[in-house]
Amino acid sequence: MSVDLDQTPRSLLISERSSFLDEKSRISSQVEQQHFNYKVSVLLPECGPTPSHLDSVLNSFSSFYLIRQLPIYELLDKHFLETAVYQGSVYGLSYRTRVDEENCVALMPNGRLCLSLDKDSFQVLGVEGKPSRFNHRANSRYVVSVDLTDSSMAPGGRGYLRLLTGLRSRLHLKTDFVLSHHPGGGASLQSLLSRHDWSEHRPEISHHALTNLSCPALPTSDLQSCDPHSFLEWLGAMDADVSCENSSSSFLSSLVCPEPKTTLSRALSVSVCGLLLPQDIHRLIQELRCYLEQPRLESWASLTVHGFVDSPVSWGGGEHGVLRGGENLYTLLMFHDHTYHLHLATGAHDTCPP
Amino acid sequence: MSVFMDLNLSFTAERSRLRSLIETAAHLGFSTVAINYVHEPTTKKKQEVPTPTPINELIDQLPIVQGRSRPIRVLNRLTVVMSESSYFRPADPAYRSFDLLAISPATEKLFHAACMSYDIDIICVPVTEKLPFTLKRAPVNGAVDRGVVFEVSYSAAIRDSTMRRYTIANANSLMESCKGKGVILSSAAEKALELRGPYDLTNLGLLFGLSDKDAKEAVSSTCRSVLLHAESRRTANGIIYTTKSCSDSSCQQEAPDSELCDAPAAKRLRPPPRVTDS
Repeated sequence: MSVDLDQTPRSLLISERSSFLDEKSRISSQVEQQHFNYKVSVLLPECGPTPSHLDSVLNSFSSFYLIRQLPIYELLDKHFLETAVYQGSVYGLSYRTRVDEENCVALMPNGRLCLSLDKDSFQVLGVEGKPSRFNHRANSRYVVSVDLTDSSMAPGGRGYLRLLTGLRSRLHLKTDFVLSHHPGGGASLQSLLSRHDWSEHRPEISHHALTNLSCPALPTSDLQSCDPHSFLEWLGAMDADVSCENSSSSFLSSLVCPEPKTTLSRALSVSVCGLLLPQDIHRLIQELRCYLEQPRLESWASLTVHGFVDSPVSWGGGEHGVLRGGENLYTLLMFHDHTYHLHLATGAHDTCPP
Repeated sequence: MSVFMDLNLSFTAERSRLRSLIETAAHLGFSTVAINYVHEPTTKKKQEVPTPTPINELIDQLPIVQGRSRPIRVLNRLTVVMSESSYFRPADPAYRSFDLLAISPATEKLFHAACMSYDIDIICVPVTEKLPFTLKRAPVNGAVDRGVVFEVSYSAAIRDSTMRRYTIANANSLMESCKGKGVILSSAAEKALELRGPYDLTNLGLLFGLSDKDAKEAVSSTCRSVLLHAESRRTANGIIYTTKSCSDSSCQQEAPDSELCDAPAAKRLRPPPRVTDS
């Protein structure tokens, strides 16, 4: 039996082209549906210091809270449900848990609590759930998804009590948890935070100025200059500060810039890390559109949003897993005439992005 | 999927080396490791089965696994290198102090016996030499049905290029017989540098002929099923196990959770109905 080494790990890439001015463009719903965003990186060609408006938008991203060893039944607390979940949207994700190894918890803004459990925990918990879509041979991972805003899960109801007793007395699930609330911020979460060991965090911003780099020529959005795979590879190399020169003396990287290419004298790469809300990303996109409206040397900008690798859900509540890599990201390449290319990429164990 | 495990870390008498092995394994992301004591009995002189050193003597503070918030779990394992059938004595009380039992058979007859009848958890596939016997489908499937897994260790492949060829060739012939089920990948690492991370092992599994998902299972779910098999092997009928209490005298009986064992609950024997003459 010969080994087929040509097979690369399965991944999915969806590319879309549209314009912000087009009323059928789905960009806002696509951004909204990716609830848990870990990192946003922006690449601005021919840009020196960070523009002040961009800086202020980045600095105004909402802060998020980290609770250490939160018992998950606390998310079913009546007061927390009334003040935070029913009003506005709560974004919560278990932290320092691996989705392919252990139990993960996600609280989505539409009030859905999603638990991704391994077989033992699921059998101990005793609540209805479905086997994961990515099981192989034997069922080893189960997903329990409950809608906390549904009438059957109202506090005191049968479904609510069953889940509460399961989490409180049978399973004892406790993980670190990152939490954010829109639009209330920390105030609505205070009742939950005050009972545990919590800390507030601001998203971490880092700037990186690149000089003398080759870049694929992207004059307008109509020209099919380079295919999405090579463009995304180049973009990733820029973000990771990997050289694309492929000089014969260097063995570290053989990545090349896709043809046709031009040379940029400088570029700015800014990235923000943390639990980022889709609303903040919307504002960033609007700010970048304003930036591009003014005449520039290079008339494009790119924004890449990475989702959490260890989140049990990705776009719109679809199940997410890790086979060899759990990437779920999208790249928005914007041009000055309000047109854009959107590339949505996921790994093997993921649902199709919208 | 379950947590990543490496069930073969060679035991060395040097405490510092063993400690660095365990720390490297925790750093790479393995949540459970097993320290392997190799017992190679020969006809010439009688050798005692090694006793495992308690974990708290080896290392004071178990390191936290990278990316999680729990410390690494360390188990003990015994590998008996068998060239004759009399070398494996399952009734030996020294075997009971080990969590996992493994056999490394040298002949075809022993391999067949190990697959079909011996009370063990792991069968080691030789990787340092050309396979001395062919791995036929019948005993391999019999072993997989019983819950016994086959182990392929990779650190020999790291040390030497000839071993690399043997490892890949032997692993490929194993995969032809077992179709990727019931295989675990582990290092037989003697030094911390010979350990590789779990996702790297998933890639290595592709070279051995496993599919993507099978290779990932070989490092996680199959190892978990080996541990459950070992726990139920040490019980009676999968329900009760006995442990010697710390005090000198008797044994205590404890019933662990029956969820841990995959065997169904044993029915109580009813006394035979009395026959009366009338």
